[in-house]
Order: sequence, then C-alpha cells, then structure tokens
Amino acid sequence: MSLSDINWAVVGIGLAGGLILLLRDWRLTFAALFASYICVALFIQQQQFLPSDLRLGGIEVSTPVMVKLITGVAATVILTITALTFSREYNLEDLNEFSLAELRRAARRAQRQRAAEPRRLSDYVVPFWALILALIASLALPRLYPIGGPLVDFVWYWLGLTGLFTLVTASDTLKIGLGLLLCAGSVDVLYTAIAQTVQVFPLALLSLMTIVLALAVAYLSGLLYGRLKTLELNELYKQ
Amino acid sequence: MPYLLLITFPIVMGASTFLLRKQTRLVIVAAIITMLTQIGLVALIPLDAPARLLGLTLTLDPLSRLFLFAFLAVGAVAFLASWSLVHGENFVPIGLIMLGLVCAILLLLQEPFVVSLLLVSASLMAVLAIVDMPTGSSELVERAVIATALKYLVLMLIAGVVMYMGFVLVNIYRPGEGSDTSPAQLILGLLVVGFGLRLAAVPFHSWLPDLAEDAAPMVSALIAAVMNPTSLLFLINSLQFYPVVVLENERGLATLANLGLVTALVGAALALAQTSMRRVIGYLLVYNVGAVVFGLATVTPVGLTGAVFESFNQVVAVLLLFVCIGLLERPDGRPANVVRRDLLWRWPVAGAGLIGGGMALIGLPPFSGFASKLLLYEAAAARGIGPLAVLLVATALAALALVRLARERLLGVPEGLTPPPPPRLVGEIELDRPVERWLEPEPRTPAIIAVALLGLSLATGLYPQPLLETITDVIRGLTFVRPL
Repeated sequence: MSLSDINWAVVGIGLAGGLILLLRDWRLTFAALFASYICVALFIQQQQFLPSDLRLGGIEVSTPVMVKLITGVAATVILTITALTFSREYNLEDLNEFSLAELRRAARRAQRQRAAEPRRLSDYVVPFWALILALIASLALPRLYPIGGPLVDFVWYWLGLTGLFTLVTASDTLKIGLGLLLCAGSVDVLYTAIAQTVQVFPLALLSLMTIVLALAVAYLSGLLYGRLKTLELNELYKQ
Repeated sequence: MPYLLLITFPIVMGASTFLLRKQTRLVIVAAIITMLTQIGLVALIPLDAPARLLGLTLTLDPLSRLFLFAFLAVGAVAFLASWSLVHGENFVPIGLIMLGLVCAILLLLQEPFVVSLLLVSASLMAVLAIVDMPTGSSELVERAVIATALKYLVLMLIAGVVMYMGFVLVNIYRPGEGSDTSPAQLILGLLVVGFGLRLAAVPFHSWLPDLAEDAAPMVSALIAAVMNPTSLLFLINSLQFYPVVVLENERGLATLANLGLVTALVGAALALAQTSMRRVIGYLLVYNVGAVVFGLATVTPVGLTGAVFESFNQVVAVLLLFVCIGLLERPDGRPANVVRRDLLWRWPVAGAGLIGGGMALIGLPPFSGFASKLLLYEAAAARGIGPLAVLLVATALAALALVRLARERLLGVPEGLTPPPPPRLVGEIELDRPVERWLEPEPRTPAIIAVALLGLSLATGLYPQPLLETITDVIRGLTFVRPL
C-alpha cells in the first residue's frame, strides 16, 4: 500500500477527533477542531456526495462544502475568542456586598486550585481508554450496522463516538462544547452522505445550529468564568 | 403569506424587544400584542392546505392548530404574568423567539430533519432564558442555575442528534429490502431516546426537576407547557409519516409502554420524597410524562386520545402551577430565611391555584386531567390488570405527594399574619409604639390569571366533549393507530 492509497482526509478526521478527546489544553483542542472541520469538508468533496457548482481558484467545490467550511471557521473562532477573553464580567456597581464578597472568594479559590493542581499524567488515563474504546467501536460498528459505505460509516461513527466520549470525560465547559460540536458534525456527515435527497434548507439550518451552539457554549463559559473564575466543572457542582 | 408571517413576526418582535429590553412594561405590552396577533393569524390559516416555501412543505392540521392556539395563549399569559413576577431581563425577547420557532415547528411537521433542528435551536434559546437575571440584579447567577442550563443544553443537543440520525435512517430504509434484520428497531430505539430526552421520560428525566427548581417560573412554564407538548406532536407526526417504525415493532412498542409506566411510577415516587415545592412539581411533571408516553405507546384510539388530551391539559395545569409558584415565592413581608408552612393563608389565590393545578396534573376530579386520565386507565385496562394497577399506584403516589406538599407548605397554622398588639406601657404614647407591619396583598394580575386558569381547568374537566371530539377526529385519521 503506497502513500497515495491512504485517504488523508479520513486520517485527519481520526487524528483530530482523537486529539480533542485526549488533550485538555484549549489551544491544541481548538486547532484540532478546526482541522476536523477542514478534513470533513475535504472528505465530502472527495467522495462527491454533492455535485460541484463553485469554482475557487481552479478548485471545483460544492456550495454545501463551502458552507461547512465557513461554519467550522465560525464555530472555532467563536470558541477561541471565548477562550481568549473568557469572562463575562458583572457590572460591579450593580452588585450588593454579598455578591462582591462571593466573587472575591471565588477568585481566591480558583487561584489556589490552579497553584495546587499541576497537570498529572493520571488525568489522561480515562480519556486514553475512552479513545481506544471509540476506535474499536468505530471500526466494529460499520461491520455490525452498515449504513453508508465503510469509509462514510467510519467517519460518522468516529465523530459521534469521540464527541460522546469527550462529553463524558470533559472536565470543563469548553470541552463539553467541543464534544457537542463533534456530535453535530457526525449527523452532518451522515445526512450529507446518505440522505437520498439532500435539501439545502436542512443543511443550512444545521450550520446555523452549529454556530448558535458554539455561541451558547461561549455564553455559558463566560458566565461560569465570571461567576467562579474557572471553567472547571467540579467547581460548578461543589455545594 | 400568513405562514411566513406566523414564523417571522414573533422572531422580528423578539429582536425588537431585545433592543428595548430595559423598558420592561413596554416590552411586555408589545409581546402580548404580538401573541394576540399570532392567534388571529392562526385563525386565518386554512386547515390542511399545504404551501411550498424554499422547498419545504408548510401545513396546519387541526391538532396543530388547537395546540398552536394554546401555546400562543400560554405565551400571552406568561408575558402578562411577568408584569408582576420576577423574570430575567431577556425573558420576553427569548420567549418570543422560542414561540416563533414553535410556530415554525408546528407548520413544518412534515419536514422531520428541519423540525429536529428547530427543536434544538429553540432549546438553545431556552438555555439563555434559564441563566437570565433580572434587569439591574444585585445578585450573582447561582451555580445550580448554570449547571441546570448546561445539563439542558447537552441533553437537548444529544436528543436532536439522535432524532436526526433516526430520521436519516428512516429516509434510507425500504421495508423488505436488504438484510434479514429490520433496522426499524434501531430507528424506534433512536427515536425513543431522542424523544425520551426531550419529554423527560425515565431514565432521561433529570433535567426537568432541575429546571423546575432553578429556572424562573415563567421560563419553566414555557419549556414544560410549550416545548414538551410540541415534541409530543412531532413524535405523533413522525409515526404518522413513517408507520413502518410502529408496524414492524411489536416488542419495541411494548418496551415503550413499559417505559411510560416506569416513568409514571418513578416520577410519582420521587415527587413523594422531595422537600422542595418546585421539585415536587418537577417530579409530578415526570409522572405525567410517563402517563402520556404510555398512552402513546398503546397506539390505540383510546390511548392516543388520552395521551393528546392529557398533553393539552398539561399545558393549562403547568402554566397555572408555575404562575402560582411565582406568587407563592414573592417576599411576603416576613423574614426570608424561614420555610413558611402557611402559604395558603398568606397567598390564598396562589395557594388554592397550586392545589388545583396539582389536582389537574394528577387527574383528580373535577379538574381537566380527570377525563384524559380516565382514557389512559381504559387503555391500560385493555392491556391487562398489571398496567392499570401500575398507573393507579403511580397516581395514588402522586396524589400523596401533593397532599404532603399541601400539608407541609400550604395548610400549616397561620403564623404572624396579624400579630397581637403588645400591651401598652405606662406613659407610652402612639408615637412610641412600633410601626405596624404592612403585608402586601396578592398582586392582582397574576392572581386573576391563576383564577382564570383554575376556572378553565375546571370547565374542561366538567365539559370535555368539544376538545375530546376534535382530538378524537384527528386520532381517527392517523394511519398507525390500531383498533382496541
């Protein structure tokens, strides 16, 4: 098997999903999300599910593929801006003294926690085994429940499962957002690849929903950071 | 044109009211006028007259029209109630956009892909309403509220994804083709998980009590009284368009019916175990969802009529319950850090409304839920003594939970409402005496709303025929219904 036989778009989707599930640093996971959107667009273009109707610099692409690319860029940019700016600050003049004290306490607690808890290898054990499980399931499920072709099935099962496991193993709200976006990407691939009549409106609505989802996650993350000065979910559920 | 207007008008008004959101009263008046206009538009749209728009089919069937009237009325009443009840700064704009999306959903029921995405979009809007704080609030958003919003967001998106997958599979599935194993079971499984999450059936129910506990009362009312019945209508419509999912799935339907019974039983049992007033209501809603799911899974005319009628009753009962909760939780002029057990005496209309709304939800006579629950019992009896016994036990537990709530929070001995004047001391003059505590009366608008909703529930309970006839006519036309 030569290098030209390898489907690099599928490899890219696999690697990007794996990195999102495994890693915790948002700089890496957001880059992986962006790569995932590009690889999915490449995969859909390569499989010719939809006829090409646009010509961009000598490359023929279909409009839905362009829409998916734009959606991916928008979702990644929204989450990245959130990660960079984080906090939705309260208007401090409006708050009463109890709320101000609560905010100061939250900031101190978050600072202490950041200092006390360095990254440990054990944090990656569960995501690693989840990744292995997702890989096995994504290879086995297309044989047990074949729906599209083997490649299509692998891609949508992989996106769906890595999304689901990312949700399950997430430790912060941005990671939850990544998991949800992967799940939404999974149905996007499934619909584009195997629906008998791909309608423009559902595809456009799916893209719109993806962007609104990214916005909702960004809003909740900002709210959480503004309140607790951290995005960690365990702080959210502390009594 | 009316179709397009019905969808876009509330959304445009939502955007406009967002810009004016600090002008609370003005925004509420605009929202109520929008709802009334929408009701007029719905009345103008001819029934079962499909129209094509952007490659999509829009149509309005009698059942959707009935529910659309109810949802728009719920919207108008919720906005009116928010005149006096605490609500978030963006409640009205978000509510208008949600109701615009609900109008789109009910008009586009023949387009399952679009509808499942619209449901997710409406839920994303609801997330913003859950974490919304009142204008100029001096307090922080509670952790529990953010946690509830996050849970709702995740579960609703998963529900949307799973439903979407189910519809893609239905779209490619041709009965009698291909392998020996029918994918109808997988499709029904996906739809059950998707709709189970949306309707809050056990074991996907945890978001509903959390929502009832943490969100503002009117936000909970909009989600439980509008979004959940919309999902049910969508489910019925999906089964109507893809009857093969039901016809090839005897075992799947039996499992779904059992899931409904378990939901009713678990919901009622957990309601009995709660101490928080809001959580009791949340779990009673779960109980009710179970009864509705059971009726639906019987796919008999009686069961389906009962399920749809019960769902309609739920719209009225839920709104009544949350308006009353909003009233009962108002500061009552007494220390805020003490759990009050005499709320009926302090807020008589709200207290009576809570008891009446609870009775309507559980299906106790003479309120509206009684007739629909009778139909569900009849459907259960047709399946044997077991299902009927489970439903009756669940109802008894739910009634006990309501009695406990009333005893612990509403009917206690009145405390300090009219404290006895202290004895006059020697040499004391009028100016030396402490100022008499002023207890505000029940706010008029929500109290009138509570009385009206209680009256409506009572009227529907005593004379359910007109509603029942409409629902029965629609159920008769469904293709997947089996004779009893």
